[in-house]
Amino acid sequence: MEGRLANAWRLTANDKSFIRTALLSEIRIDGRKPYEYRKIVVKFGREDGSSEVQLGQTRVMGIVTAQLVQPYRDRPKEGILSIFTEVSPMADPSFEPGHPGELAVELGRIIDRGLRESKAVDTESLCVLAGKFVWAIRIDLHILDNGGNLVDAANIAALAALLTFRRPECSLGGEDGQEVIVHPPEIREPLPLIVHHLPIAITFGFFSNDSILVIDPTHNEEAVMGGRMTTTVNANGDICAIQKAGGEGVPQRVIMQCLQLATAKAAGITKQIKEAVEVYNTERALRKIKRHPTSTGVNVKERQDQSVGK
Amino acid sequence: MEVDREDGRTQNQLRPLACSRNVLHRAHGSASWYQGDTKVLAAVYGPKAGARKNENPEKACIEVIWKPKTGQTGKLEKEYEMILKRTLQSICILTVNPNTTTSIIIQVVNDDGALLPCAINAACVALVDAGIPMKHLAVAICCCVAKSGYVIMDPTKLEEQKMKSFAYLVFPNSVHSVLPEGSVQGEPMEHGIVTSVTHVDDYFYCLERGCAASAKLSDFLRRSLQRHPTDSSKAG
Repeated sequence: MEGRLANAWRLTANDKSFIRTALLSEIRIDGRKPYEYRKIVVKFGREDGSSEVQLGQTRVMGIVTAQLVQPYRDRPKEGILSIFTEVSPMADPSFEPGHPGELAVELGRIIDRGLRESKAVDTESLCVLAGKFVWAIRIDLHILDNGGNLVDAANIAALAALLTFRRPECSLGGEDGQEVIVHPPEIREPLPLIVHHLPIAITFGFFSNDSILVIDPTHNEEAVMGGRMTTTVNANGDICAIQKAGGEGVPQRVIMQCLQLATAKAAGITKQIKEAVEVYNTERALRKIKRHPTSTGVNVKERQDQSVGK
Repeated sequence: MEVDREDGRTQNQLRPLACSRNVLHRAHGSASWYQGDTKVLAAVYGPKAGARKNENPEKACIEVIWKPKTGQTGKLEKEYEMILKRTLQSICILTVNPNTTTSIIIQVVNDDGALLPCAINAACVALVDAGIPMKHLAVAICCCVAKSGYVIMDPTKLEEQKMKSFAYLVFPNSVHSVLPEGSVQGEPMEHGIVTSVTHVDDYFYCLERGCAASAKLSDFLRRSLQRHPTDSSKAG
């Protein structure tokens, strides 16, 4: 037990008071202004449905897979969407492997609520045979690096992965039309998911002195702040979800201010995600055309200089 | 015997390698290793205070956590963790920091064949990035034997599934010594072998090929580690 405490990361009292004092003059320790977001980079893997998002120093990977399962009994015509959040010990030395801590559970719930309750993903189109077969979409979020504000980064990763995911096309066959035939991707082009809108999560941090508000806290600021609130809004101005679990109380006008800020930011982030997805889709289409391998590997037996491939 | 591989490589050709270190900010050491489409990310935290339960407190302890791309961790992941732990235990100097734990976390980003060797290579680079004292580095390679008897190196996932047997071989890296030739003796030892059922002759053939490959791999490793950590290095 003692060993564990010794390994926990703690911010010193000097660092904490420095962050608070700097905020009084509207300066943040990484040079941003209070309402400025960090740089977002959205990258995709080779396979459909795998994304990697970097929000400043925070890094999250999202993977989407699909499986044919039996639907829930009370919802026989809808597909199933499930989100699994893996807070890897890679991200933070205080994360324990094995059982997910409060942070992981809260993270998963916020993203789940944002996607499911707002009906962002169309689950009715995932139904293949009512009552028997539906697609179950599984989103795995791997937190790779904790630089603060995991919720926002994980949300963007989930959305990016959902937008680039393609599920195999299937049709009904067999004698009585009750059999489902899943077509492999080489034969029939897989289909994208129907996503109606993109709910973007924006997190705010509250500091007790003079009710200072910052957007997108880093993990140093998270250790100092008195309370946090995550609002999930979309570019149309709809509020999909708000999460404020404990922490210090804030007056009403601050909440309204947060919502207005969030809506403004959401538009910019939505545009960025869509642009990145466009680039990926174009590359994907080009990849379908090229057939010859463009890279060469290292030939082991021959005594030649290393040939540099791609 | 000429063999046609799907991506146009010859029998002994490895896939393009890419390696970057210091990719994560919180981890003490981190590395990503790409072998063709197989991508693995490794992070190292350590040495941390205290040895784990049932571990010898007079030595440094190594803990490996393997995170698959999707799904729950099961027996296969536990097996990978155990193999990786034993391999790394044999290359790290365990007497330097007794009663400490070094954690290595492996995240599979994409699996396209030869996953375990890729992970071993990534873990090695991450340990160097973290500054953990080691006797030497490990380079890992995968060889597969087909039903008709030919041996291929560094298979993709499709090739792996069609093969009769496979061998994952781990060698120490090649030595660049300032001593004159001849004074460095001893044969390169192997540190880890994972193999499925193969015929004895095939196994020795794999071993010989693996040895040759490890020389090329350790050159690549040396070059990429000598570079500045923020540059990513790539090789054919």
